Amino acid sequence: MSVNKLDDLRQKKAKILAGGGKSRIEKQHSSGKLTARERIDLLFDEGTFVELDAFVKHRCTNFGMESVDAPAEGVIIGYGKVEGRLVYAYSQDFTVVGGSLGEMHAAKICKAMDNALKMGCPLVGLNDSGGARIQEAVDALSGYGKIFFRNTIASGVIPQITAIMGPCAGGAVYSPALTDFVFMVDKTSQMFITGPQVIKTVTGEEVTAEALGGAMTHNAVSGVAQYMAANDEACIADIRRLLSFLPSNNMETAPEYLCDQDINSINEMLNDVIPDNPNKPYDMFDIIKVLVDQGDYMEYQPHFAKNIITCLARLNGKTVGIIANQPKVQAGCLDVNASDKAGRFIRTCDAFNIPLLNIVDVPGFLPGTQQEYGGIIRHGAKMLYAYCEATVPKLTLIVRKAYGGAYLAMCSKDLGADLVLAWPSAEIAVMGPQGAANIIFRTEIQESENPVETRARVIQEYTDEFATPYKAAERGFVDDVIEPAATRPRLIDAFDMLASKREVRPAKKHGNIPL
Amino acid sequence: MKKFNITVNGKSYEVEVEEIGGVMPSAPVNRPAAPVAAPTPAPSAAPVPAAKPAAPAPAAPVAGGETVTSPMPGTILDIKVNVGDTVASGAVLVILEAMKMENEIMAPVAGKVVSINVNKGASVNSGDVLVVIG
Repeated sequence: MSVNKLDDLRQKKAKILAGGGKSRIEKQHSSGKLTARERIDLLFDEGTFVELDAFVKHRCTNFGMESVDAPAEGVIIGYGKVEGRLVYAYSQDFTVVGGSLGEMHAAKICKAMDNALKMGCPLVGLNDSGGARIQEAVDALSGYGKIFFRNTIASGVIPQITAIMGPCAGGAVYSPALTDFVFMVDKTSQMFITGPQVIKTVTGEEVTAEALGGAMTHNAVSGVAQYMAANDEACIADIRRLLSFLPSNNMETAPEYLCDQDINSINEMLNDVIPDNPNKPYDMFDIIKVLVDQGDYMEYQPHFAKNIITCLARLNGKTVGIIANQPKVQAGCLDVNASDKAGRFIRTCDAFNIPLLNIVDVPGFLPGTQQEYGGIIRHGAKMLYAYCEATVPKLTLIVRKAYGGAYLAMCSKDLGADLVLAWPSAEIAVMGPQGAANIIFRTEIQESENPVETRARVIQEYTDEFATPYKAAERGFVDDVIEPAATRPRLIDAFDMLASKREVRPAKKHGNIPL
Repeated sequence: MKKFNITVNGKSYEVEVEEIGGVMPSAPVNRPAAPVAAPTPAPSAAPVPAAKPAAPAPAAPVAGGETVTSPMPGTILDIKVNVGDTVASGAVLVILEAMKMENEIMAPVAGKVVSINVNKGASVNSGDVLVVIG
């Protein structure tokens, strides 16, 4: 081949690799962000990334666009390895026409999505875009629509992870929202449907972009995002970590890792972790940390609805999804946000063959007009639906309170728990002793000579008789009451036993989860 | 130890193969938690300059302070701080009895207790201001 042709190729590639040029790259760095290519390099194992479609160009001739050169069309797509496993990714380049999305930009993203789906591997999207390329008009809109469609088709087949690493406004927000996991970078990312300026003209409300759609807003208030990171490097490290907990697709199981901890270890601390006084809170993480491998877990939505904990962890090297009430926050009650958070997490785990461990200490659903008007019935139903629908191994561990509807909602035997274990401290009943005694023994209390004393006596009787795991165990709703110290070996053994679980459901187009 | 019979050029060899070392890799090491900024919703005002206790115009510091609101309906069982106390972030301010649990309501930020808006025994709704920290 003539030298010229090779030189030509090399020059073209060098130009594409330079992205938006030195000054724009400097601007990207000075605003605390990495470039699209630097992010890709961090995401993939060194030297494994293969770029596709680097030569793609836009076809727009409106408003002088014919003279605009956009290297790689403002988005880098390709595949590579993360911890040795195939992953597809796209990374929008803010230094090239503001990372704006036009027809061909979207076509590149769609190619990455189609390939990921075909190959059955995760798709990671690194978003940093000013939005639709307005010059391309409806072609840009069509681009978003094509991406949404693919997000939905791939949902539940391959894990889809999106990181918001810059602005993400208007229609662009819906692609992330359709994916399984949304990361945001603190201070440099925002998501909103309409920005502060539009809000000001329409409603007169004044709000900063950060308060409206910053990382903490979406992690703590709206629940749109599941993770937040301090900077780009931390965000990408977290994505790699998350991938280690997930299978490549819905036909596989998550990778298994070597666990060099003794699987038969007894932990005496667990015998004392539950306070004697049932009204005293404690930190559920104290329990989770000693149950899972290396005390290591990755929390899902750590800043949102903290009254319920959702996290991925490993037991004997195998991924489990943990849903646990947090007595330390709002008494660990179930409310609208907690139900949404748990419901979504349960379905995410079920879609990707991740067994569920439910650790129960729940006083009930939160009462009040706020909750009822907010639709706690509808939202709570999502959680129930998600548990009933899930066919992965479901193991419920009741450590303390399990009352009423909330006991059912935390995956009781009747919601399809394959195994229910309880600690001796468990209280499984239709309601707490005080409320129950007041109803059952109403006349006895009223007619007695000393109502206060009688009331205390019947409450104690009820507590001794019913606020225990044994009534439920007598009926087989609890498979075994175990010594807390021996919980870890029991869980490992149970999940090992449940690994071959097979459950067939009637054929249907799709269920109708209450939304 | 696994045994294999391998035939090479018609001659049979019995080979023993021993597996050494784990087949599975160890789980990726947990990166130390990223120092995510503490969830302070509103930009808290500059630390209140050592407020003269007798000084009038008490409204000013309250307006700029961090308000601690009740997360759910319940009863104030105990108040652990007094006006003027300096509290660290995470210090217990109030015990709120709700859902039959003695919930510890903690300071979201470090600062000085500017006002206490509830009394012991009071019933509160979610969103009610309990304490203001300046």
